[in-house]
Amino acid sequence: MTARSLPPSVIATLPGGHYTDENIFALEQARVFETMWFCVAHASDLGKPGAFRTVQVGRESVLVTRARDGSIRAFLNVCRHRGARIRTEESGEVKRSFQCPYHAWTYDLDGRLIAAPNLTKMPDIDRVEYGLINVHVREWIGYVWVCLADEPPSFEADVIAEATHRLGDERSIENYDIAGLRVGRRIVYDVKANWKLIVENFMECYHCATIHPELTEVLPEFADGYAAQSFVGHGAEFGEEIRGFTVDGSEGVDRIPGIAEDQDRRYYAITIKPQVFVNLVPDHVILHRMFPLAADRTIVECDWLFVGDVVDAGRDLGPSVELFHRVNAQDFEACERCQPAMNSRAYAKGGVLVPSEHHIGAFHDWVLDRLGAGSGQGQVKRL
Amino acid sequence: MIPACPLAALPPGEAHRLDVDPPIAVFHTEDGELYAVDDTCTHQDASLSDGWLEGCEIECPLHSSSFDLRTGRPNSPPAKLPLRTHRVVVEDDTVYVIPSCEPSNPPPGLRASTA
Repeated sequence: MTARSLPPSVIATLPGGHYTDENIFALEQARVFETMWFCVAHASDLGKPGAFRTVQVGRESVLVTRARDGSIRAFLNVCRHRGARIRTEESGEVKRSFQCPYHAWTYDLDGRLIAAPNLTKMPDIDRVEYGLINVHVREWIGYVWVCLADEPPSFEADVIAEATHRLGDERSIENYDIAGLRVGRRIVYDVKANWKLIVENFMECYHCATIHPELTEVLPEFADGYAAQSFVGHGAEFGEEIRGFTVDGSEGVDRIPGIAEDQDRRYYAITIKPQVFVNLVPDHVILHRMFPLAADRTIVECDWLFVGDVVDAGRDLGPSVELFHRVNAQDFEACERCQPAMNSRAYAKGGVLVPSEHHIGAFHDWVLDRLGAGSGQGQVKRL
Repeated sequence: MIPACPLAALPPGEAHRLDVDPPIAVFHTEDGELYAVDDTCTHQDASLSDGWLEGCEIECPLHSSSFDLRTGRPNSPPAKLPLRTHRVVVEDDTVYVIPSCEPSNPPPGLRASTA
């Protein structure tokens, strides 16, 4: 296979097969989503002991709950008896235990096996060893992160450092006190596109002038085509006539009290690989969590977080939410427009990245590197 | 009189299972009372000492039938038959159980298993 010879202005993307092939997707599930820190839920989704959510992490269904002592626990959603799925609903509340509906094997909120028919006749069954399988849990900025690896990577290096790196220093993200904000609105998008198309879209602004009229009105420098992620410590500035990060440029709501003066009237964007986007503006934070379900399907849960008083007072969040909701819809429509062509012979060797998109090449190299990680079972190479 | 455990080993809110045949569960309620009943739920073979103690009631961990510890009677289905109650005595900081002479109400699967 000869390498493509490309004009010097451009570099190659991944070949189309990387966006459609189910074997490559399975490798990505195993070597990206099941090994890295994966953001699953907001802490308020688990409001009290017994509240739970089930989420897809790679190939696994994970049951996330709040235990009796208030801590958050996460387990593989698989009964240790004969493999039934413990809970099938996306969210809910149990009183004090998780009971498998097949044979009533019952686990407490720490995952310990506490009851099963005839269990006392089988004292050799260890209640912890045959309890639900725990996965690692961390909480940060009000969100719950899990890692399915036996030995998770450093949360500080892989997750927290991303924010620090992008904003230029540790203090900057702390100013937003994201853990202290309240989810004012959540919208879930079911996107018929490969997760990488969504990451690539978020990483560049070459498309902004074309598909985001409202966003480029609020952030005129996006019309130039350089994304906020390209620069360290750089927040895109609001247009002169713009009073807030809203669909019509109107004022927005109460500013987040702790932000610095130089963070006012600015938009910052952080990508936390593999599946989180954090967007920061003076009066709210927008956080995306992606759940790749198939090579051509990704669920995106998008939260808009505001100061607690603003939400409690019932203030109108509409104009604030509507701006990034439109951005999301516009972006996902573009991704869905690309997905069908990933199988075309026209895209067999992939496409090209223009200079303002070259940093996406680093993302592709990163993905390939992770797919090659682990067993030397056939490295996936860029054509 | 069968010794169960030292009183110190059974704080309020806790249960102790006596491994006799059929097994007996001793409960120390939050109010400071001690009760003993058959450990095996009368509905299905589950251990009540693994269940949820609330006030004077014990809830079976399998199907949530709740029994009154004072009378042994079920408060909620699916259990229908009562547990036997046994006397509890504390002597020299040790908890003792005097088992009832009544026949027990084992759940299906444990009945006539002596065949």
